Amino acid sequence: MVSTAPETTHALCRADAIGEGQARGFPRTPGARQKVIVLRKGGRLHGWLDSCPHYAGGTPMAWKTDRYLNGEGTHLACHSHGAQFDMETGDCVVGPCLGQRLTRVRLETGADGMVRLAED
Amino acid sequence: MNIIGPDYLVFGVDDLASSAEYLTDFGLTPVDVDATGGLFEALDGTGIIIRAKSDPSLPDPLPTATMLRQQVYGVVAPEDIDAIAAELGKDRRVTRLADGSIETTDVHGFALKFQVTRRRPLSMPAEKINAPGAPAQRAPNELGVFPGKPAQPRTLSHHVLFVPDQDAARDFYCDRLGFVVTDVLKPAGPFLRPRANDDHHTLFFITTPEYMKGLEHLAFHMGGPTELMLAGTRLVNKGYQSFWGPGRHKFGSNWFWYFNSPLGTHFEYDADMDKHDDSWVAREAMLTPKASQVFLFEAQRRWMPGPDPKGIVEDEGTPEW
Ligand code: FES
Ligand SMILES: [Fe+2]
Repeated sequence: MVSTAPETTHALCRADAIGEGQARGFPRTPGARQKVIVLRKGGRLHGWLDSCPHYAGGTPMAWKTDRYLNGEGTHLACHSHGAQFDMETGDCVVGPCLGQRLTRVRLETGADGMVRLAED
Repeated sequence: MNIIGPDYLVFGVDDLASSAEYLTDFGLTPVDVDATGGLFEALDGTGIIIRAKSDPSLPDPLPTATMLRQQVYGVVAPEDIDAIAAELGKDRRVTRLADGSIETTDVHGFALKFQVTRRRPLSMPAEKINAPGAPAQRAPNELGVFPGKPAQPRTLSHHVLFVPDQDAARDFYCDRLGFVVTDVLKPAGPFLRPRANDDHHTLFFITTPEYMKGLEHLAFHMGGPTELMLAGTRLVNKGYQSFWGPGRHKFGSNWFWYFNSPLGTHFEYDADMDKHDDSWVAREAMLTPKASQVFLFEAQRRWMPGPDPKGIVEDEGTPEW
């Protein structure tokens, strides 16, 4: 999908910087603490708020910079209490937030190859 | 039943290499660690044991997300193990191992082991401070902070379990194993201190649904608040994810700083916890942010006001203290 967003808006990363089965975190807005997780699964990019639904406020999920996946690389994981989430649907499949899901962040890839938050 | 506290917490992990990297950066020392995992110990020999989650030597996993596979308690003497075996043998299977230790499970199915403690007695000063009106703790020219200042976990302090039935958990540990309740945060649960330890708590329960049963966090004692801040800052500078803190709890008075981990639980540095004896009367409070902590801070990138035209000098790539 080609972005309609002006190319001056905050770019998260280059689309080709995220390989299949990889996940990385980027500040949601320049300098923000809140991150957006960008991952590629089945060839498609997905964006998720780096915010575990276990606690109402939402807490960051990596154990170290960009370390968002479980050991096998099959699921997004919250490294607080081990909750695991489907990489494509955001559904929690095991852990304290069973029945809840991650908040999707819609992404767009621009003609310049950069990934940005989609404009609503 | 002279239980001292946890000697080791044993994990079955899905990423041994990442776990080893984490435990080492946390400040624990690998001992006998090979491709199958091993022990990462604090200064007194207590610590964390990791194995692959499929390792057949581990007790069975709980049917939840937790990677905790066994809690290994240290006791004072072989007689304490005999007493525990006699008590718990009344209503559950207790297995005696060749080294004299015993294995069993608690009321919620958490795997337990009791051994004569492997802790080495520590003899080292607490973090030293100078204060007007009190004798100086540091000699003239003895610095408070300096490059390479040690900030290593001294001993495994406590851990916190998610349990569906806090009354059953309390009764099991108190009535059967001699723990005492030091304080209660309602509705979460009680803080427990074992008979042979005067720390405010080595165990705390948080009531949760069955599907959350597991380990909320574990903590290591540091030599003082500066060591805690220093160790935490070193983790942050390496890219590790702070979860909560630094701050200071009310019950227990301990400083805290919690970090995410690849072991599916929080690792906490704690410092300066209260000590209690049997004359202590347990307090009760509702679990609220105010009841939980005196104050809470959050680490930030180091900066300073200064001569730079922007008024801020970013501090990046400087040698780490
Ligand atoms: S905060 Fe994410 S699993 Fe508990
Ligand atoms: Fe704690």
